[in-house]
Amino acid sequence: MSRILIVEDDERIRSSMRLALEDEGYTVEDVAGGEEAVSRFTDEPAELVLIDLMLPGIDGFETCRTLRRQSTVPIIMVTARSDTHDVVAGLEAGADDYVTKPFVAKELAARIRALLRRSRPDDAGDTSLSFGDVEIEPDAGVVRRHGDEVHCTRTEFRLLCELADHPGKVLSREHLLERVWGYDYFGDGRLVDVHVRRLRTKVEPDPANPRFILTVRGMGYKLAV
Amino acid sequence: MAPAQAAAAANPPVGDEAGGGEQPDGPARSATPERRAHHARLSKGLGLRARVTATFAIGAFALSAMMAGITYFTARQSFLNERQGADQRQAFVNASLIQNSLRSPGTQVNQLIESVDTVPGSRSVLHTGGEWYATSISVGQGAIPAEERSLVLAGTPSSQLISIGGTPQLVIGVPLPAVHAAYFEVFSLDELARTLRALAFALTAAALVTTLAGAALGRWASSRALRPLSDVTDAAVAIAGGQLDTRVDAGDDVNLQELASAFNRMTANLQDRIEREARFTSDVSHELRSPLTTLSASVAVLEGHRSELAPRAQRALDLLDGDLRRFTRMVDDLLEISRFDAGSAELSLDEVDPGELVRRSVEASADVGEDGHRVVGPPVEIRPGVEGLRLRVDKRRFERVMANLMDNASLYAGGVSRVIVERHPAIESGGPPRTIRVIVEDRGPGIPQLEREHLFERFYRGSRAGQRASSRGTGLGLSLVAEHVRLHGGRVWTEDAPAQGSRFVVELPLHPNASDAGSS
Repeated sequence: MSRILIVEDDERIRSSMRLALEDEGYTVEDVAGGEEAVSRFTDEPAELVLIDLMLPGIDGFETCRTLRRQSTVPIIMVTARSDTHDVVAGLEAGADDYVTKPFVAKELAARIRALLRRSRPDDAGDTSLSFGDVEIEPDAGVVRRHGDEVHCTRTEFRLLCELADHPGKVLSREHLLERVWGYDYFGDGRLVDVHVRRLRTKVEPDPANPRFILTVRGMGYKLAV
Repeated sequence: MAPAQAAAAANPPVGDEAGGGEQPDGPARSATPERRAHHARLSKGLGLRARVTATFAIGAFALSAMMAGITYFTARQSFLNERQGADQRQAFVNASLIQNSLRSPGTQVNQLIESVDTVPGSRSVLHTGGEWYATSISVGQGAIPAEERSLVLAGTPSSQLISIGGTPQLVIGVPLPAVHAAYFEVFSLDELARTLRALAFALTAAALVTTLAGAALGRWASSRALRPLSDVTDAAVAIAGGQLDTRVDAGDDVNLQELASAFNRMTANLQDRIEREARFTSDVSHELRSPLTTLSASVAVLEGHRSELAPRAQRALDLLDGDLRRFTRMVDDLLEISRFDAGSAELSLDEVDPGELVRRSVEASADVGEDGHRVVGPPVEIRPGVEGLRLRVDKRRFERVMANLMDNASLYAGGVSRVIVERHPAIESGGPPRTIRVIVEDRGPGIPQLEREHLFERFYRGSRAGQRASSRGTGLGLSLVAEHVRLHGGRVWTEDAPAQGSRFVVELPLHPNASDAGSS
């Protein structure tokens, strides 16, 4: 019984989402605003958080950033706008995935399942990987740079492992979406792009001129060897 | 591959029969009206410019011809008067000399006439005592017109212009009644004529030069005067092409500033209005999403408890579910349309294998059939030569294109019979591939020629409006197909399928230098 926290100001949407997700077998808590979400999460951490981007008071982006600072909990943002700007801003605030209103309940449930599955650390390989001054211990879920632990979300961690597993090989966005997010062919490439950017700020000496996680134009990404 | 080849053999690839001259009768690309406008601008601009040039040339010619004429005739008259005066004075001097000499008896008339002081080119003719004497053999009394002769002999002095052997001559006759004689002097005006000829030549040349200069000036002035007009035309063409932020620069010309500012005001209003409309559509779509989210989640809950519902309630739930999907699609489509209208639609390009793309898109669309049940997709035939090509495409948009075309076929034309992916020109032609064509064939009755061009308009349903299925579409599907394809720089049209029904052809340009398969 995974606990899910819904942050949504529209009471009807909140109630209907709660009903739908409870039917899928989750324990659901819901709050109407960002401040409430942060304090509720601090009191009793949930295993996954759904945040609506348009919130009164501190908005969804800020809520997402605040939660991200204290936890690597999987976050799905819920947005009424699928415009690049909003999606990218949401992902950059630290969300792992996004769904667009109105979403199909089954699809949301599938996304939640995929995220919860990968937040359990037992699905990674067990040989430690390394590149540059970065060391990855897949079974412990730990990334170290210069020996210091780097805080990665589960999604970032899986993305890094996937890249480090195939050094020197170009991995397409589709491949990464499928392996890291569990999407099929039509996943949103922006998810990969933003996560790669976030990852670079954590493991690259100079994120603007990456040395390890390289973009291969029109093809995807690869880890330089 | 076997079925694909068999089909290819049965129906020769379109690329072949198409050759180069094929004109799809599908939606005119947005370039067509622009091209027409451009053409109109060109011919109109030339016409006006030519007219101004001609007007200037004619004006310059008329003016210079008139000036030349006046100059010529004034000069001629004044030269002639001057010459006539001088010659008359000369003739009278000579005449009085002759009269004095004739008074003294025994004068030899022949010697006398020879002794008269004449300017070069002038010849004297004397009538005295019923005899005629002349200094020149060629110019005798016969050279003097008869009327003048009789006039002078009757006692009236006279002066007359005549022509001898093509040279103008001035004949001055002086009666000498005191000695019953008449003295005539014939002055050759050859020199004057030559001067006048030279003058006429110079004036004609000047007039011609002036005319040419006038034409050149006209051409320059017209193109200069028309430049702002062609600026405005260019701007209008750009605006018609969707670049609503185009403005005209008035420069510092007061006359043009008025036009430019009026034009810019108009464009700004237009842009404002279009943006407001697009924003409104976008806002409405977004506002509708909240209640739709509640509805969708609630229906999902009801679906989960389906077995607890009475059969009547289950049917009601199906209706609710079906129309909720349709409503959701419509809101999505409207939002998509508003993005196109606002010009904020962006391509998110990925490099993909065209065959794989089409297969996946067809699968995805077949997965979620209209009634929500899983449907087996139509066969996808990949024609030879497609393998190994890479297409740069926005996958999400392409998937929507395929979904909309397949929905359209299942709503109005009995479903899709097959989907073909081919390169164009075909591999047999030997040339490099330029485009990928994705052809969706249906089993329907075909589409009348007249309806084909309207097919891609919003909410157009044509003669199919009465059909049962028409109440299930959103009316936006095909117009979105056209917009998505256009955003990729491609085009879409419809034509008759070889066997039965009609086919929709989506043509997407291949990214140049992308033929490398890049197996990584």
